[in-house]
Amino acid sequence: MSAESDMEYSDNDGDDYDYYGEQDDCDMETVDRSKSDPEFFLYSCLKVEEVEKLLNESIELLSNSLQITPSLAKVMLHAYGWNAQEIINKYRENANEVLVYSRVKPRLPVGQANSSRTNCAVCANTPLLHKYSALACGHYFCNDCWAMHFEVQIMQGVSNTIQCMAQDCEVRAPEDFVLSHVTKPTLRERYQQFMFKDHVKSHPQLRFCPGPNCQWIFQAWTREGARRVECRGCELLTCFSCGAPHHAPTDCATIRRWLTKCADDSETANYISAHTKDCPKCQICIEKNGGCNHMQCGACRHDFCWVCSGDWKTHGSEYYECSRYKEDPNLANDSQHAQAREALKKYLHYYERWENHARSLKLEEQTLASLKSRINQKVMAGEGTWIDWQYLWDAARLLKRCRYTLQYTYPYAYYMEVGPRKELFEYQQAQLEAEIENLSWKVERAETTDRGDLENQMDIAEKRRTTLLKDFLEFNTNNASSSTKV
Amino acid sequence: MANIAAQRIRREIKEVMKNEETAGASIKLELIDNRWTELKGEIGGPPDTPYQGGTFILEIKVPETYPFNPPKIRFLTKIWHPNVSSVTGAICLDILKDQWAAALTLRTVLLSIQALLAAAEPNDPQDAVVAKQYREDPHMFEMTAIHWTNVYAGGPTPVFEFNQKVRVLTEIGVNEQVARVALSTYHWDIERATEEIFSIYP
Ligand SMILES: [Zn+2]
Ligand SMILES: [Zn+2]
Ligand SMILES: [Zn+2]
Ligand SMILES: [Zn+2]
Ligand SMILES: [Zn+2]
Ligand SMILES: [Zn+2]
Repeated sequence: MSAESDMEYSDNDGDDYDYYGEQDDCDMETVDRSKSDPEFFLYSCLKVEEVEKLLNESIELLSNSLQITPSLAKVMLHAYGWNAQEIINKYRENANEVLVYSRVKPRLPVGQANSSRTNCAVCANTPLLHKYSALACGHYFCNDCWAMHFEVQIMQGVSNTIQCMAQDCEVRAPEDFVLSHVTKPTLRERYQQFMFKDHVKSHPQLRFCPGPNCQWIFQAWTREGARRVECRGCELLTCFSCGAPHHAPTDCATIRRWLTKCADDSETANYISAHTKDCPKCQICIEKNGGCNHMQCGACRHDFCWVCSGDWKTHGSEYYECSRYKEDPNLANDSQHAQAREALKKYLHYYERWENHARSLKLEEQTLASLKSRINQKVMAGEGTWIDWQYLWDAARLLKRCRYTLQYTYPYAYYMEVGPRKELFEYQQAQLEAEIENLSWKVERAETTDRGDLENQMDIAEKRRTTLLKDFLEFNTNNASSSTKV
Repeated sequence: MANIAAQRIRREIKEVMKNEETAGASIKLELIDNRWTELKGEIGGPPDTPYQGGTFILEIKVPETYPFNPPKIRFLTKIWHPNVSSVTGAICLDILKDQWAAALTLRTVLLSIQALLAAAEPNDPQDAVVAKQYREDPHMFEMTAIHWTNVYAGGPTPVFEFNQKVRVLTEIGVNEQVARVALSTYHWDIERATEEIFSIYP
């Protein structure tokens, strides 16, 4: 971490603006925050070594309690989702059942005919000099064949689930059996790497950060609803429950449907993703270069809305029409063809706004970077300290966070049934959108905006955001139980 | 590893030949050339099925990592079956995928494919169109399968009605295979099949 970012967050006195993009406290946080932040979620960001330690503790616990090898303990933990206590209880009741369920032992005893030690069924050889070995199922094969079998499997990325070579045999090879046949150091290493990845994936409390080449691993204790976790390394926001980019207020199943739909319909929706638009008044082509949807034409000074090309003046009122899509009441009488067209129109309405905010977010990322260098210049030139300009930085951060939530309100609204609840949602969404655009306008012109005015706008926008989340995020009933450590 | 593959294939061909003599199972296996990477398989249609009396040729490609990875097998002879693509001949069979085991042999695989002809798995279809017909109109399915067996696999039972319908379409210039697939797909409804053909090939 750079010295610069240390400076940015030197004081964290009670405000909680900074968790989007924050690097410093992924760890357990105070319970107070669960009250003020509707997205509060208890989790940690762990390094590979920390996770290895955590897994080893479970392995050791199990192997000590049941007097089994760590290798066998791993097979069982993988099969039982790392619930060591459950395995111990079940094992004491019926050890055989646990061994069969973990695929350490075969379901039925293997007959004599299948366990020849003088003829290897795989290589078709009868190498008297060869050594034979078998898993608990008693299917003997020559050691050369085992070694090649493991090599092929490991090269294909299989680790915990490598099976016996016999037909219809589901018994799995434990680590020590595999390693006793694999001698190449690179292959052994590869095997252990895959094994670790597989362990994390099979562990209900762990999830890899999906960031490209990112090594961090999240730990948390529930997988229900949209749960925000932020990576310490790459700052990516992920949903712990489903692994998709964080998506509150939309739930996991809905976001999956939405993203699939967007991927399927990308062709139809492509035409709207242009980065330029003609000014509706003087028809001069304007490129959108900031995140703000309030556009001003450089030529004629006309103020208009990027989303609908309407006059910006009509957007100033409390009711921000632009974010609402009105379902046509005459639709039911129409032909199938018209209905399909209406459905596409509805989808495009939500998709355009979703895409547009995603693009704005990217542009605001750039705004953030240039703001940072502007502040640094000011500090260098002796125009105050970082603390004096912190509010600007906070404003840009807050804007990013608000826009992020706003983006994810569109899939939510798309799938909502028409009715008073949807009306309330879209009313709140429209208000949030209006305040975000105001904030974005002010942040882009921050140096000429009054500080008090900006801070007031920040407060309004964040309140709109948390109100919407509090009203529509649906898991908030039992935060207490989710913070119980396992 | 290629060593083991060659060794195994050699032994497997012998095994099939030996078993064919003794048990008379209608299965054949032969090398395409002197290399062990590609083989030709042959299975007879099982008795009391629409495939009875037909001979079905299979393309068998042996990977270098054989037998630690499964062989790649598809039908070269066209066949109307829920678990075989009527277009590409690709087979949906678990032991050719994740249920493969190094101890399995080509003989077992060919016998499994033969068994698949006798007992289809319509819930795990390779060809959705055929599977749908299999479930919803078993009689139509059976007649169509008999017809395909007769035309492509040398089966003994011609279905005159179907032959005639195919001829109607070929006489107006439609490719025979295209006509047969369209007619089979649309339950031998000549009008629908024609409509379909001319909407795809205008
Ligand atoms: Zn062997
Ligand atoms: Zn076995
Ligand atoms: Zn990361
Ligand atoms: Zn999720
Ligand atoms: Zn203009
Ligand atoms: Zn608008």
